[in-house]
Amino acid sequence: MQYSQKVLDHFMKPHNVGKIEHPDAEATEGSPACGDQISIQLKVNPETKIIEDVKFQSYGCASNIATGSIITDMAKGMNIEAAKKITWKEAADELDGLPPVKMHCSVLAVDTLRKAIKDYEVKNHLAEADEFDKDSILEELKKVIYPQVGEDIVALKMVKYVGLEDGIAIIDLEIPKFDKFRDNVVEEVREHLEKFQEIKDIKITI
Amino acid sequence: MKKYYFDNCKTTQPAPEVIEAMLPYLKEKFVLPANFVLGGSTADEELAGFKKTVAASIGAKPEEIHFTASGTLANNIAIKGFISENAGNGTHIIVSVIDYPDLLTNAAFFEKSGFDVTYLGTDSEGFIDLEQLKNSLRSDTILFMTTFVNHTVGSIQPLKKIREILDTADHKIALHVDAGQAYGKIPIAVNELGIDLMSFSAHKIHGPQGVGALYQRKGVQLGPVIHGINRLDNHQTGMVSLANIAGFAKAVELAFGNFDANVKKLRELSNYLLERIESTIPYTLLNGPRGEGRTPHNINISFDFIEGEAIMLMLDLAGISVDTGSACASQGLKPNYILMAMGRNHEQSHSSMKFTMSRYNTKEEIDYAVDKLAEIVKELRRRSPLYKEK
Repeated sequence: MQYSQKVLDHFMKPHNVGKIEHPDAEATEGSPACGDQISIQLKVNPETKIIEDVKFQSYGCASNIATGSIITDMAKGMNIEAAKKITWKEAADELDGLPPVKMHCSVLAVDTLRKAIKDYEVKNHLAEADEFDKDSILEELKKVIYPQVGEDIVALKMVKYVGLEDGIAIIDLEIPKFDKFRDNVVEEVREHLEKFQEIKDIKITI
Repeated sequence: MKKYYFDNCKTTQPAPEVIEAMLPYLKEKFVLPANFVLGGSTADEELAGFKKTVAASIGAKPEEIHFTASGTLANNIAIKGFISENAGNGTHIIVSVIDYPDLLTNAAFFEKSGFDVTYLGTDSEGFIDLEQLKNSLRSDTILFMTTFVNHTVGSIQPLKKIREILDTADHKIALHVDAGQAYGKIPIAVNELGIDLMSFSAHKIHGPQGVGALYQRKGVQLGPVIHGINRLDNHQTGMVSLANIAGFAKAVELAFGNFDANVKKLRELSNYLLERIESTIPYTLLNGPRGEGRTPHNINISFDFIEGEAIMLMLDLAGISVDTGSACASQGLKPNYILMAMGRNHEQSHSSMKFTMSRYNTKEEIDYAVDKLAEIVKELRRRSPLYKEK
């Protein structure tokens, strides 16, 4: 497994590292337990809605730091509507690709940027905070990447059922029994859903 | 770029003398041992000499040594061979949660086939729970397996005490030892320690890759595991490279001819590395024991607030080879199972770095590595959201 030269460049000399003194919005995603966490802060022009400054901090591996660097480069100078539409595949492509097992880093960086923009919109009454239902769970599961191929588990049709009953998230997954990433996927699903206060319990069947 | 190699736990640089010793067997001395023909008889004598060298290094008899194609093969021949031959006496085996994967995957294999396996726990320094061992012995226990020197945190399991505990049973319990990290680093006397089966390999002591050895105490029966033609060995059937065996024997001569001085040097290098890291870099945590309970060649240490794959990659780009317990650098994306079993949290496991020395390392190399490491840790902490919060 080899990182592209661009990943190494952004890892060794990342752009936009640090904190903004009085940010207009911010978000932190991931957790040290999962091995990666990223914080993004924004300064947004109130008239044009253009992201004038963006900074990030990362606890994580090389690809986590590189995706933090590239995503902040991409978002800087964009208005928030355009920045919201950056996909994790575009971020990975911008780095000349990431190894499949590292794709989740790209997802985490994009997700954090979107959360920071959402934070700005909610604070400035441009949008409501998201209502939580089983579609929100499905959206969240699209951020769980199957490390073998670097695609999300929803796209790979590994998610057979999603439900939300009385605060209990019910997930039915299809993963081969001797898959070496089996425990990892289940743990990732749990970690992604645990952060929602709307979810009291998670039931996963395989 | 000059290479600074501190990953000697995985494999070591072959000694120049080893390569010299191998060459004749790759060129003219390729004939296999055989009776009554001149070339074959010479090879037979030379093989006997290599066995004698290896046997002497652990206080064994030459006929108790079998050359295998790797340490892992030696483990498989020992464990599977012993269990298949002795299953009639019982179906309970004991291992610990921090053992080398060879032992754990074999234990899981037998568990799946209906054997009972007890997995002993560990304390916070990587020593297995001997009280639990005492309480786990049963009338149907046939085998206890252990990793003499832990491959991650360097703890040396107290084999003598373990043998005493096993001997409290009313029947004989076999002791199988993976000595991959112990061999050449701490003295091993198989008779004194009551070892029945033991695996080790050449490439951990500056010998060639692709050759290991199995010690099988006289009287311990092993069923066949690898079926095939008996070329050099009745257990490791098929071909084993004579050149590799010759290289192995030379590596043993070099390691044991100067054993005390080699070990003293390893201990000095490790102590120096640890002292320099702890005095230069704040917020570190040594994993595994301090002092004599630790193998002389291993330092495993965690760096708070940052992640190990990033540290490892930056060190690598500076020419420094080390290992990490980070999930990000592992094939299954899991944190190191030994550190987790010892009670370390995810963060401490993700940020753990393992430096393993060889007699070829120098203090100057350590100075360079620690200076680079200090820069890297400082830079990664600057980027980390966790560091600022503290």
